[in-house]
Amino acid sequence: MLICEDISFDIDGQKLFSNINLNIQPQKDLLITGPSGVGKTTLLSILCGIQKPTTGKITYNSIDLYDLPENKIDEFRGKNLGVVFQNFNLINTFTVKQNLEIAVSAIDTKKSIPFFNILDRVGLANKSHIKVANLSIGEKQRLAVARAFVGDPKWVFCDEPTSSLDDKNANIIANLIKDESLRCKASLVLITHDSRIQTLIKFSKILKLGDEL
Amino acid sequence: MIVGITIITVSILVNQVTKDTFSKNNPGLDAVVGAKGSPLQLILSSIHHIDIPTGNISYKNARKIIKHPAIKSAIPISLGDNFQNFRIVGTNKSFLKLYKANLISGTAWSQPMQAVIGYNVSKITKLKINKFFVGSHGLIDTGDVHAEQPYKVVGVLKKTGTILDNLILTSLDSVWNLHSVTNKDKLEITSLLLKYKNKTSSFSFPRLINKGTNMQAASPSFEISKLLKLTGNAHRIVDYLSVLIMILSFLGILFTLLNNINERKYDLAVLRTLGFSRWKLFSIILSEGMIISILGSTIGLIFGYIVYESMYYFSTVGRSLELGQLNFLNDLFLIWIIVNIIAFITCLVPCIKVYKQNIRSTLLNS
Repeated sequence: MLICEDISFDIDGQKLFSNINLNIQPQKDLLITGPSGVGKTTLLSILCGIQKPTTGKITYNSIDLYDLPENKIDEFRGKNLGVVFQNFNLINTFTVKQNLEIAVSAIDTKKSIPFFNILDRVGLANKSHIKVANLSIGEKQRLAVARAFVGDPKWVFCDEPTSSLDDKNANIIANLIKDESLRCKASLVLITHDSRIQTLIKFSKILKLGDEL
Repeated sequence: MIVGITIITVSILVNQVTKDTFSKNNPGLDAVVGAKGSPLQLILSSIHHIDIPTGNISYKNARKIIKHPAIKSAIPISLGDNFQNFRIVGTNKSFLKLYKANLISGTAWSQPMQAVIGYNVSKITKLKINKFFVGSHGLIDTGDVHAEQPYKVVGVLKKTGTILDNLILTSLDSVWNLHSVTNKDKLEITSLLLKYKNKTSSFSFPRLINKGTNMQAASPSFEISKLLKLTGNAHRIVDYLSVLIMILSFLGILFTLLNNINERKYDLAVLRTLGFSRWKLFSIILSEGMIISILGSTIGLIFGYIVYESMYYFSTVGRSLELGQLNFLNDLFLIWIIVNIIAFITCLVPCIKVYKQNIRSTLLNS
């Protein structure tokens, strides 16, 4: 279970958001929406342990995330969280398969990973040896999703996964995220200002930032 | 780094081996008497068999020195010919005793044109007992041979680790016969290797020879220490140069890693988001730097050793140097350790930069 208590974040003394309280049960979904600039991506960074909040506490199954030393936060993120970043954050000089392999090597798992099956599920099986720099936006998005789910995470965070895609590709990506979350039995936290997403995925909770809870 | 370590390795090897060889080649000789000229040249040619002799001296005059009351032992040597660049030394059997030489096979010479060969001579020229060979004029192989009078190998010496391993020994008569010197008054030798009865003679005897005769007496220990002092300065310059190259290579490693990290800072931030801890990235960058350093320093050592070995096999001067007990290995290992410790400290700079990286701002700025 993910619990956020009184999360707030200041930039240069100005409050970006404050008093955010969340409670996400296992295998439940949360959609965070809101206009640009309200701090959706910052909130996702805080939830993932990338950006420390100004105040508040984030607890994963009774582990206080920001109580851990920074090295342990990195390890916790690698082992338990899957993140699909808005700009993908893929390593462009690596091939498709190498991007998955490097993600697995961060986890230190002894489990053998069926890379072909994962790439097959996201439709990139025939592009495993192609460098990321040569992929289309849609393919990069699919690879970013595949990487987020490669270690069977318990919580998955997606930042604007469909906003730069056409309807067809947005549909593919949304289904992919939904299916992979179900397969991993993961809780999904999705951040977007793309209104199409609610027609593609049914969320158990919705948080509107910059408006009201 | 490879160049720096190679130069240091060759410098250490040559320095150590030269000192070692010079000390081992001199079995306690107090003086060498030969023709007037450079005393260092006389020592180098008569004991270490590197330089050419200063000339010849009359054997008649030499015999007077042998009988001098201050002299405990005197061994005449006569140089002039070679076989495949190995010097043929006309002498008497005391020369074998002087170097405490033992035979692997055969016996010492008993008549003219019989030869005893050193260990390296046998190994490199493949000469064996009862084989014949012809000497060439001069101390390096010119192809001008004494074809009509071949030498017969009658003995092969055990390895001594001294210059003896690179010599071909024969009787003085062989050298005189070969050069058709029959008049006993005109017999000549190259030099006399002397030991004094009393060390106090080391002041009075050379003065006697140098002032009272047309010969000169030179002290091996004095001349060699003078030479080592001279070459020591040259070695120091080479060492300073190699240290400068090393410093440049450390800076090279530092800037290569810093540049590498700057180019890859986005990728490193991505790795952090995937779960690589700061320590893990720290150790990856450190490993990269240390692999460059360890490989560079090891290849440098190997290159240095190869350069030294090439000198040994391809130059006549090199042949007179012996590796001895490999004492220099400790020095080389120490340098290898120091180089890698400095490289380790150098690598910490980029590693700390990676450790302190703020992943969120790096990802946002990228």
